Amino acid sequence: MPFFAGEIFVSEVYKKPVLDQTGEEIGKLKDVIVGLGEPFPAVTSVVISSGKDTYVVSWDMINLFNRRVISVNARMDVLKPAEAASSDILICRDLLDKQIVDINGAKLVRVNDLELGDVKGKLCLVAADIGLRGLLRRLGIEKRGEKILAVFKYKLQRKLIAWTYVQTVEPKLTRLTLTVSRQKVSSLHPADLAEIISEVSQKERTAIFGSLDVETAAEALHELEPRVQVDIIDDMSKERASDILELMPPDEAADVLGDLPEAKAQELINLMEKEEAEDVQELMEHEDNTAGGLMTTEFLAFPPDMTVEEAIKELRLEAPNVETIYYLYIVDQNEHVNGVVSLKNLILAMPQALLSDIMLTPVKTLPQDAEQKDVAEFVSKYNLLAAPVVDETGALRGIVTVDDVVDFLLPTASRKKRRKL
Amino acid sequence: MNIPPSLVAGCLESTQPVKMVEWIRKIKDRRIFVILAVIGPGVIAGNAGNDAGGIATYSIVGAREGYGLLWVLVLITVALAVIQEMSSRMGVVTGKGFGDLVREQFGVKVTLAIMLLFIVANLTVTIAEFAGIAASMELFGVHKNISVPLAAFLVWLVVVKGNFKQVERFLLLISMTYLTYVVSGVMSNPPWHEVARQIALPRIRMDSDYILLFITMVGTTITPYMQFYLQSAVVDKGVRIEEYGYAKFDVYAGAFMTIFIAFFIVLATGTILHPAGIVVDSAEEAAQALQPLAGPFASHLFAVGLLNASVLAAFVLPLATAYGLSEAFGWESGVNKSFREAPQFLGFYTAFIVIGAGVIMIPDAPLIKIMFLSQTVNGVLLPFVLIIMLRLVNDPSVMGEYVNSRRMNIISWITVSILILLTVMLLVTSFMLA
Repeated sequence: MPFFAGEIFVSEVYKKPVLDQTGEEIGKLKDVIVGLGEPFPAVTSVVISSGKDTYVVSWDMINLFNRRVISVNARMDVLKPAEAASSDILICRDLLDKQIVDINGAKLVRVNDLELGDVKGKLCLVAADIGLRGLLRRLGIEKRGEKILAVFKYKLQRKLIAWTYVQTVEPKLTRLTLTVSRQKVSSLHPADLAEIISEVSQKERTAIFGSLDVETAAEALHELEPRVQVDIIDDMSKERASDILELMPPDEAADVLGDLPEAKAQELINLMEKEEAEDVQELMEHEDNTAGGLMTTEFLAFPPDMTVEEAIKELRLEAPNVETIYYLYIVDQNEHVNGVVSLKNLILAMPQALLSDIMLTPVKTLPQDAEQKDVAEFVSKYNLLAAPVVDETGALRGIVTVDDVVDFLLPTASRKKRRKL
Repeated sequence: MNIPPSLVAGCLESTQPVKMVEWIRKIKDRRIFVILAVIGPGVIAGNAGNDAGGIATYSIVGAREGYGLLWVLVLITVALAVIQEMSSRMGVVTGKGFGDLVREQFGVKVTLAIMLLFIVANLTVTIAEFAGIAASMELFGVHKNISVPLAAFLVWLVVVKGNFKQVERFLLLISMTYLTYVVSGVMSNPPWHEVARQIALPRIRMDSDYILLFITMVGTTITPYMQFYLQSAVVDKGVRIEEYGYAKFDVYAGAFMTIFIAFFIVLATGTILHPAGIVVDSAEEAAQALQPLAGPFASHLFAVGLLNASVLAAFVLPLATAYGLSEAFGWESGVNKSFREAPQFLGFYTAFIVIGAGVIMIPDAPLIKIMFLSQTVNGVLLPFVLIIMLRLVNDPSVMGEYVNSRRMNIISWITVSILILLTVMLLVTSFMLA
């Protein structure tokens, strides 16, 4: 099996000498051939050119493949000159500098560089570099360029498009078509960003996270596997980490903090805004996979004597801060749940009606120590989008939304897998 | 644009309205409409070669040498037609601009080098066009602080607000205004026999004045921006391969018209200024010098011609730059696009106009130095563009079956070699003079 470094840009290995078993130079790396694999095409062979001859060497025969050394696990004299087949995809010839168009055919930018990375032990094409950094790297002045731009207070960012966004490539293509529209490219969905992030090495990952704005980082962080989350939070400055945690829904922030060493978690909680910190602290006290651990403390609760009109007004104010607005819980002074009003019923009701008139009773609730499985069954049985969770006194403490238990409701195979490193 | 005589006759003979309708339907299928639909990029690109600098050169050539260099125009026509045809063909066959092809076939380094030269070359020429607008309007007593911003705004507005069709028609209209020079030339009442004799049997001299004028003439008429513009405009227009015959006609008509206009400029100054022994150094001086000798009308025609030429090129240069850069970096481009759809394309277009006009507004701007830089950078760029063009047009992976034929290659390589030789000579001499 070839030994390669975590991530390599094609421009860094292009025209690098390729050595044979004995250390003799066979020629220069001319191109890299990839298969048609999904979502990331794997490297199948490399093309080496030496004078007029070209050699196509299968990936299995490569010994080392990194920025400094590329070596073949054979002697030079056993290699026979060959040409790449016309159906092959050569990434320098066929992909580099090609036009990228969005799903509507609008031109975006060209492929400045291509990133190869480790996907489940295979070297695969993982992303297209579309930024200035890629352009400078092609010119061989990435580091110098970065320093010069730093003088002008310009931070050179990484601009990559994950290969998952590129429609299947075919031989002899003239342009790369994305699966998204151009408006979406600047704000790639965090879940997919997470995908590319788990494909790259730890160092790169921290760099990528560093370049994201706090909100995107908050969303992306949740999509990662717990161990990766911990790594990233660990590498980040404490201030930034706590900023990101504040922006995450409290239940998700609690999940992340729960996986950190206790001292570090406490330190971060202390840096967070008081209100958010309290919510998170409360959630962290519950077992991870019980209703108490799954729930979010942000929900809509209104008194029974409120009119529909007032409730809608209030709803507008509260909506941005809560996870779901489809259920309004009607609670008394003791925070006991008297009833529930769905968003639909609220909108259809007369403005002057009281919430107590239109609410549905009684409301099924869950105890905080209910198992995740029971929560899932509960949600499924009553067809709910969220389930209310009450403490021993019957006071409403939070809600578990359907997305937190959906994994349990689906057959094993289609469950969303947390991305592993 | 020839309507077959039989058709015209058929029309005149027919008296019944039904037949008339039929005739209209028939003529709609005729080639003339296809030609009219396809014509544009070649004519505009060619005429844009007769920009402020071109007009100045031709005026000077006529004033200094009379009809002695008219024969060169015949050669330039051929060279222009050969080069422009290849540009147009590449655009039609590949559906890509020159910038696209350079980036895809030659990579980042070559592209950046070409683009850097291209930006500097075009920016300096754009400044020259706004200088031409200022100079011509000053002949009518309009101060440059009024004429230049107005012209800049017009040039900007038409492209930003108009669609491709409207912009092309507008530019074609401007191209037709060049015919004022034909009027000037004919009005000067030249001795036609003598003109014909000097073209057929030129007395070629080997002194430096003559050779320098010869080279400058060629250098000013064939410039990189014309090739960039032509190919991009053909692509933006969406000319299809079936229509290529007409696109070729467009290119040849453009080349002919360009030199036809140049011919009459030389004729006018050669007939009026040369015998009087008046030496001019610019187009506006030529216009002024015509006043006492040929009357105010001739002078005004020349001024209008200069204004017109400057305005056309003030459109074409920023457009060519915006097209070229957008292609090289893969940004959305096209006259039909809005600022939101193609921000970089229209951004560069706007920036070029603002800078080009802005420099002219600066009091005591070093225009002579800028023009020298312009000539130098264009001279450096042209050989690279031509060689890259020949390599692209002969690459089967780019052009498929539409690569140059052997005969075409012989003609084009000779043309390109001569052009490169002359360009290098121009560079050397201009440095020696500087």
